[in-house]
Amino acid sequence: MEQNGEKVIEVKNVKKVYRMGRERILAVDDVSFEIYKGEFCCLLGTSGSGKSTLLNLMAGIEKLSTGQIIIKGKNIHKMSEKGLAKFRQRYLGFVFQSYNLINSMTALENVELPLVFKKVRPRSREKMAREMLTSVGLGKRMRHRPKEMSGGQQQRVGIARAFVAKPEIVFADEPTGNLDTRTTKEVMNIIKDIAKKNNQTIVMVTHDRSLAQYADKIIHILDGKIQEVEVVDREEICEVNAAEAAQQPEVKAVTVEEAISKLNQEQENIKEQVEIL
Amino acid sequence: MRISDLVKMGLKNLSRRKARTALTVIGVIIGTISIVVMISIGLGMNQSFNKFVMELGSLTMVTIEQNTWVQDDDDEYSGKVVVQKLDDNLVETLKQVKHVKAVSPIWQAQAELQTSGKAENNVQIIAVDFDYLDDLGLADVSYGTMPTADEKNKIIIGGRVMEQFYKPSNWNYTPIEVDPAKEKIFMTFQNWEYSTEKEMKKQLLKDFCVLEATASYTNYDWSIIVDVSYYKELYTKWSKNLKLTDQKSAMKKLKEYSSIQVIVDNVKNVKDVQKKIDELGVKSTSLSSTLEPMKETSNMLQMVLGGVGAVAMIVSAISIANTMIMSIYERTKEIGVMKVLGCVITDIKKLFLFEAGSIGAIGGIIGVLISYFLSYLINRFGGPVFAGLMSGSGMLGGEDATYSLIPFWLPVLAVAFAFFVGVFSGYYPARRATKISAIEAMKSEG
Repeated sequence: MEQNGEKVIEVKNVKKVYRMGRERILAVDDVSFEIYKGEFCCLLGTSGSGKSTLLNLMAGIEKLSTGQIIIKGKNIHKMSEKGLAKFRQRYLGFVFQSYNLINSMTALENVELPLVFKKVRPRSREKMAREMLTSVGLGKRMRHRPKEMSGGQQQRVGIARAFVAKPEIVFADEPTGNLDTRTTKEVMNIIKDIAKKNNQTIVMVTHDRSLAQYADKIIHILDGKIQEVEVVDREEICEVNAAEAAQQPEVKAVTVEEAISKLNQEQENIKEQVEIL
Repeated sequence: MRISDLVKMGLKNLSRRKARTALTVIGVIIGTISIVVMISIGLGMNQSFNKFVMELGSLTMVTIEQNTWVQDDDDEYSGKVVVQKLDDNLVETLKQVKHVKAVSPIWQAQAELQTSGKAENNVQIIAVDFDYLDDLGLADVSYGTMPTADEKNKIIIGGRVMEQFYKPSNWNYTPIEVDPAKEKIFMTFQNWEYSTEKEMKKQLLKDFCVLEATASYTNYDWSIIVDVSYYKELYTKWSKNLKLTDQKSAMKKLKEYSSIQVIVDNVKNVKDVQKKIDELGVKSTSLSSTLEPMKETSNMLQMVLGGVGAVAMIVSAISIANTMIMSIYERTKEIGVMKVLGCVITDIKKLFLFEAGSIGAIGGIIGVLISYFLSYLINRFGGPVFAGLMSGSGMLGGEDATYSLIPFWLPVLAVAFAFFVGVFSGYYPARRATKISAIEAMKSEG
C-alpha cells in the first residue's frame, strides 16, 4: 500500500566522507532508499553507525560527498542557503535528543519560533502554538522556561515546536535518548499520534530496538551501510499498540517481531532494574 | 522574519545581558559626548568670532597707523613706537598694489563736545571717506539715520558718547546721559597745542545720527565720525581762528593722515597685501592677522577634543564588536537551532546588526542628552577656562558669550553617526554568526 503512495524522500547513492587529519572516514557508504508519504521510518543502528549523519544529510544540515537526496521532488543539496531555509520552514520539522530549546524563551515562545521565521502574524501564531502545546499536554506550562521543566516536558515542547507549522516531514534524532522508559513511551505515542492525524512522514534515528516497534519501516544501518530494510505491516502494529496500551500502560516490552522480541525484553528488564536501583 | 519580530527579539537579547549592554552603551555615550561637545565648542567659537568681527569691522580691511607699536620677531610688542609718514604719495602707491579695492585715508583729532545744558565731553573725531562707511562695520543707528554716500556733511556719533558727558563744575565727573533729541550739541577741536587769544567758535551739530553702543567696546563707541571732505572744511574753518603761526602748523596736519585703511578685494588676499605693504616699509595691521593666533588656538582645542572623540568612538566601536562576538559565542547553539528551524541567514545577520546598531543608537541618544547638559554648564561656568586658553584676547569675554552651541542638526547627526558606528562594528560579528555551521552549533553547549 505504501509502495504505491507518493515518494517523499529519495536517497540515492549517498556517500559522506569525513576527514580526520589524514584519515578519511566513510560515515555513510553508498546508501539508497525511499520513504513514502505518511510513513514512520526508523533508522536503527549502534552509535557510530552513521545513522545520525544520514539524518543530518537528509535534513540538509550537513553537506553530501556524493549522491543525491530528493525531498518533495527537489534536490535539497542543490538549493541555495536561503532556499533551503525556506524549504525547511515549509516542509520540515525537527525533534532533537537534547531538545535544543532556547532557554531564554518560554515554552510558548519556543513553539512559536518556526512560525516567527515563517512570518506568521503574531495573533494567529500564538493561537497555533497554544493549540499545539495543549495537544501535547502542556496547556498549563506555556509560560514556563525550559529550565523550569522536566526532560519529558521539554521534549514535548520540542515536539510541539516541530509540528506546529504542520510540516510534511519531521526528523527526529534520538528523541527519547535522554528520557526514561516511561516518558519515552509517552513521547513516542505523542509523535505517532500527531503524525498519524495529519498524515505526516516521520524519520527517526535511534539505537533503541524497542522503539522500532513504532515504525512502519525499519532501516538497519551498520558501518554506514544498509544492512536490512524491514517493512512492517502497519495495521498489525497499531493493533498491538492499542492492545498493549489498554492492558498495561506501564513499562513492558511489546513484541512486534519474534526475532527481536526476546532481545527487547531483556533490554527493558535491565533498564527497569537500573531504574529501581 | 517580520521586522517587528526582529526588533522584539533583538531588544530582548540586549536586555538579557543588561550589565554588558550597559557597559558597551557607556562607551558609546562617552564617544558621542566628546564628539558633540567638540563640534558644539567649535561652532560656539566660530559664532563668537563672527560676532566679534562684525562689531570690529571688516575682515578685508588692512589698517596702517601713523603711530605704530614696534613688534619683535615673536610678534611681542616691545613698547617702542614708530611714527610713519602717511601722506597722499603713500595713498597713491597703495592704490597700485594688487588686490587692493580701495584706499581710505583717515584723520583723527581730539574734539570737544558741549551741550546747551553746559555738559561737556572729550571725544575722538575720526574722518573717513563715507564711500567706504560700510567697511567700518559700524553698529546700527539708535537715533537718526545712517548717512548715505551723498550726505557728506552728516556726523555720526558713537554709541557711548552720549552717556559719558559730565559737568566741568562737578569734581566727581559723574556721567550724564544726554538726550540727542532734547539738547543742542556743539563741537570744537581741542586746541591745547596752540595758544589762542580769542574764544574759539563752536560748531552746532545739526545733521547727525547716534549709533547703538556695542558690547565689545570698539574704538568707535567713544568717537564721532565725519566725512573726509567735511573734516577738511571744519578744520580749515577752525584753524582760521588760530594765531597766524599756529595756523600754518595746524594746516600742515592736513597733509598727513593719522591712519590709512586699505580694503582688499578678498579675505584670502589680505596676507599678500600686508606683505606688499611691509615691503614698502610700512607697518600695517589687520583683523585677520590679529584673529589668526586666536583661530589657531581654537582649532587646536577642537583638534584635541576631536582626537579624544575619535579615540573614544574607536574604542567604543571595538567594544561593540567585542560584545557582539561574545554574544555570538554564547548564542552559538541558539543560532544553530534558529538555522535548522528555517531562519533565513539574512535574518540572523539583520538580528545581530540590529542589536549592534541599537547599542550605538541608545548610546548616541543618551550621549546627546548629556551633551546638552554639558553644553549648558560650559556656557554657564566655562568662561574663565576659555579666557585662559584664549590668552591675549579679551574679546571672548562678556557675560553672554557662547562657548558651546548645539544646533538642531547636531543631535540628529550624532545619533545617526553612533548608530552607524554600531552597525559598522557589528558587521563582522554578524557575518561570523551567519557562517556558523548549524551542526557544530547545535553540538555546542549553551
